[in-house]
Amino acid sequence: MIDFLVNWLANAPVTAVPYALAALGLIVAERSGVLNLTAEGLMLIGALAGAGTSLLFVGHPAVALLVAMAAASIVSLLFAALVVVLRINQVIAGLSVVFFCQGLTGLIGTLAKWQNKQLTGLAPLKIWPLSEIPDIGRIFFMQDPVVYLTILIFFAVNFLLFKTMLGLRIRAVGENPAAADAAGISVALHRILAIVAGSSLIGLAGGYISVVSVKLWVTGMTGGRGWIAVALVVFARWAPRPALAGALLFGCIEALIPHIAAAGIRVPQYLMLMTPYLATIAVMIWVGAKDARGSQEPGALGQPHVREERR
Amino acid sequence: MDDLSRQAGPLISPAPSASRRLGRLNLDVRQDLAPWKQAVFVGASLMSGLAISIAILALAGIAPLTLASELAGVLTTENLRGVLIQAAPLILVGLSASLAFRIGFWNLGIEGQMVFGGIFAAAISIYDVGPPTTRLLLMGAAAALGGALWVLLPVFLKIRFRVNEIIATLLLNYVAMYFLFHLLYGAWQDSKTAFPQSSPFRPFERLTDIGYGVNSGLVIAIAGVLAAGWLIHLSRIGFYTRFISANPRMAKIVGVPVQATTVWIIAASGACAGLAGFVNVASQEGRLTQSYANGYVFSGVLIAFLSRNDPIVVAIVGFLIAVLFITGQTLQVFYQIPFTMVQMIEAIIVMAVASSEFLIRHRIRWIR
Amino acid sequence: MSLALQLVGIRKSFDGALALDGASFESQAGEVHALLGENGAGKSSLMNVAAGLYAPDAGSIFIDGVAVSLSGPAAARQHGIGMVHQHFKLVKPFTVAENVLLANRQPHFSSGMRDIRATIEKQVAELKFAIDPDRRIDTMTVAEQQQVEIVKVLVGGVRILILDEPTAVLTDAEAIGLLEIVQRLARSGTAVVLVTHKLHEVKRYADVVTIMRGGKTVARLDPRQSSAAQLTELTVGQTLALPERTPHRGGPTRLNVGALTYTRGDGRSMLNNLSFYVRAGEIYGIAGVSGNGQAELAEALIGAIESSSGEIWLDGVGDISRASQAKRREAAIAAIPADRYAYALAGSLPITDNLAVAQIRSGRYGSLIRLDRSAMRRDAVAAVRDYDVQGVRSINQKASLLSGGNAQKLVIAREFSRAPEVVVAHSPSRGLDARACAAVHQSLIEARERGAAIVLISEDLDEILSLSDRIGVMTRGAIAGEFARPADRQAIGRAMVDHG
Repeated sequence: MIDFLVNWLANAPVTAVPYALAALGLIVAERSGVLNLTAEGLMLIGALAGAGTSLLFVGHPAVALLVAMAAASIVSLLFAALVVVLRINQVIAGLSVVFFCQGLTGLIGTLAKWQNKQLTGLAPLKIWPLSEIPDIGRIFFMQDPVVYLTILIFFAVNFLLFKTMLGLRIRAVGENPAAADAAGISVALHRILAIVAGSSLIGLAGGYISVVSVKLWVTGMTGGRGWIAVALVVFARWAPRPALAGALLFGCIEALIPHIAAAGIRVPQYLMLMTPYLATIAVMIWVGAKDARGSQEPGALGQPHVREERR
Repeated sequence: MDDLSRQAGPLISPAPSASRRLGRLNLDVRQDLAPWKQAVFVGASLMSGLAISIAILALAGIAPLTLASELAGVLTTENLRGVLIQAAPLILVGLSASLAFRIGFWNLGIEGQMVFGGIFAAAISIYDVGPPTTRLLLMGAAAALGGALWVLLPVFLKIRFRVNEIIATLLLNYVAMYFLFHLLYGAWQDSKTAFPQSSPFRPFERLTDIGYGVNSGLVIAIAGVLAAGWLIHLSRIGFYTRFISANPRMAKIVGVPVQATTVWIIAASGACAGLAGFVNVASQEGRLTQSYANGYVFSGVLIAFLSRNDPIVVAIVGFLIAVLFITGQTLQVFYQIPFTMVQMIEAIIVMAVASSEFLIRHRIRWIR
Repeated sequence: MSLALQLVGIRKSFDGALALDGASFESQAGEVHALLGENGAGKSSLMNVAAGLYAPDAGSIFIDGVAVSLSGPAAARQHGIGMVHQHFKLVKPFTVAENVLLANRQPHFSSGMRDIRATIEKQVAELKFAIDPDRRIDTMTVAEQQQVEIVKVLVGGVRILILDEPTAVLTDAEAIGLLEIVQRLARSGTAVVLVTHKLHEVKRYADVVTIMRGGKTVARLDPRQSSAAQLTELTVGQTLALPERTPHRGGPTRLNVGALTYTRGDGRSMLNNLSFYVRAGEIYGIAGVSGNGQAELAEALIGAIESSSGEIWLDGVGDISRASQAKRREAAIAAIPADRYAYALAGSLPITDNLAVAQIRSGRYGSLIRLDRSAMRRDAVAAVRDYDVQGVRSINQKASLLSGGNAQKLVIAREFSRAPEVVVAHSPSRGLDARACAAVHQSLIEARERGAAIVLISEDLDEILSLSDRIGVMTRGAIAGEFARPADRQAIGRAMVDHG
């Protein structure tokens, strides 16, 4: 029983990291007031870019992750152009970008023959001497570097959003772009910045899945995690702390599935695989039932900004 | 987040008087633009989208001339049959998407609804329900019901718990898919093969050709177009839908039965998607398989978007997208281009046409 | 004294609609310059040009005699121009300090917050406001929020202060307080521009007044040397007759609101045991400063929201407070909401549809199976003619193409098409010019003559006083006092402030 628990919890951070990074990235992007549905697509871009770099430059997983972040940021510029400059309906733009990325990554992955090739991955970082503690050591002090990096990123995002002038401006743009505009702040610039910065984290999430977690590339390998991250951000009310908690919860759920089968518990395989999605819906129901009104979404979320004159 | 989807900007919007400056550039919001000018912008953007797609294909190794000859080949009579068969489910998902979008509901669960449409239809076959003469009718009705039920779940969640339907419908696609696998690898697996598929349907459970290479599935699709056309343009529900889409708050105050109308229209949307699933399993496949619903969500969105949610136009656009699909299949078979390329082209087209909205809604001026 | 701000020959159009037609304006340091005009005259647009929000199509801007080109609001602030807008530009979930910091950039957040807090406290003490820098904006009253806006602009060091309709959201007493502060600021050297449509403010507080009409500047006068009649005529063009009315004869009670309560989602109680009644052939005016539950009352009466408890009783129908939409519609309440494009019209739909939707369920325009569009068209043409809706090039054009006044006439045409027994009007003349305003008032009076019971909710005390037979003053979600016609304005003003 203890073994089961330890095995499960030691794996949970690995499955939690993509959710956490994607959710943090979405929070940064959406705090500027732009509804961002691109996570699923950008994670695929990050995953493919990371895998490809890892195959082309063997033995440099850190480089692969950086390339993943850069690739996602570049593609996010397309999204930023569509919603900030051209003021396209943000749902349509987000969906289009996702399917564009799905198509593009499928195309490149197949043509370059990167599918199913083994990648080197990242060695776990042992925090000595704490890593030698039985059981606890394995869970907390022997994870790969990105897990610890994610915690740092969490603090960085918190600091950026709530303790810097830039964060103040981004939040203002998301709550009331007219007020920010009248204060002389460039709404467009800050939105583009938030989108690109957030997307780099989303790309890292995708790169992590392919380079570190699964260690290969398969078409469509993110399997809906991007959408779960979008739901997570709503559940977390666009705040970093609950998002991290939610990511951990979903990491635990996802990590549980293979271990239940391995422990010999007989549950229909495909019904088990449904769990993360059903859990997400359950969480959304819970949020909806709790909140009578007054959600904490950025006040101007989803509305393109144009200086307006009252009739 | 309950009206998040509505807040994200109307698809085609009237905008208030407004003006915006970017240094020397001034952006004015237009009040109105003549329809022919709008058509010009949309047409031009469509062409640009196609041009970009052709460029990407060229990079992937398909010369434009090859593409042109493949396209011409698709339009020959042998391949036309394939196009028409493919058009039926595409038109139906186009109807599904456009009906839902009209009422402001982002029904992205089309794949899941197709899955359940197929499952319900297959159930009629597997459990041998009803006499042979009415079997197809029963299957079709069951499929429509299956699709409608699977979409009414997220509708209920939205009304009762304000769960955003974009995520709910998308996640339910995955749930539906895994349920299908559960059946196909389990209770419903054809014992004679090792593949995840059901036993083949009986001859009277198949949608056959009715002559001139036209499959009866297409008849169902056309019937759907006519029914949706009547619903939207002629019936009172269609009138209500216009108001719910334009200004839901006002609609409620003015006495439009918002909730009832919404539920009925979305149910119709789900039913269309269910029928699409039925058409796919009963015409070509002839049995329940695992991939008959793949790739239809965005195709539905694309068709609805290009048709401006009009059922009659959906029929035409659906046919054109079928041409795209068959071309994609040909490229896959002969040039090893993965089918996901079609998805990418669809996305480019949507982005291009959506961009034309910008030019339609704004006038750009250079201020000295 | 030098010319602090000079606008010469400003032209601005919005997609074909001309808002400013060669308007000019001059403001000197040390004086209060009123910009007077009715709704739609172009006052706000002109000042938005000065504040850098709009780029003029033609014309020039001079500051201290030097020609400048303003590329945006930031540039205007750099030149010392600060504007307090009619619709506050505040970020609601932020605190006072954060909002002021947002508008007055500092290099670092934590040190910036510290400095800003200190500056705010100093400024607030000078102005004798009572503002806590760490309070969230959405916990403050409208008057307090306006004070924050003023502080925000002053902290940035402003030489030209523009105030756009500042007293629209204040009680008479609060308005006096504000205008006195404004006068003091002017005396200390700032050039103050006061955009307003209220004559009495101009006469009492302004040193100079520029009058705008139809996008042009028509006059520049010393208000102390001019008469009210003179100013009115220049502003409005011709003196308009007040609406005619017969004295109220008293009739049966048509509407009885009893102990109505409503709590918002965030816990705030907007309607607190609200009770009043209205008789047939009577206009009941509800006066009060906005934010005291008027919007919620209007929404509850027309069915946009459901009250938490209490009843809304209609003669011949019963309690409709929790009735279905269909029942409400049958009850024939006419609704003229404050924000017509939010609640009353679907801008993207044709005029015919907007008119027909009221009676569609009665079967007048076809059955469930098939609509009768020619009947809709016929009725629409008649309605446009009867209610003098202008600007209709084609009966099928989108409703959003109508100007404010004509859109309001369209709403009234639809709502009155069924000869309603009860009318709920919420700020019906907001944003309308004098002629459209008069037309709306005339429609209400005519409805009154026909025997309808009318609830008139408005923040415009002049409108309430001129139309109402009885007046209820609303504060904190309840009726604090009732007055019969002719009502004493001072007493009403006191009731609006007295929280009892």
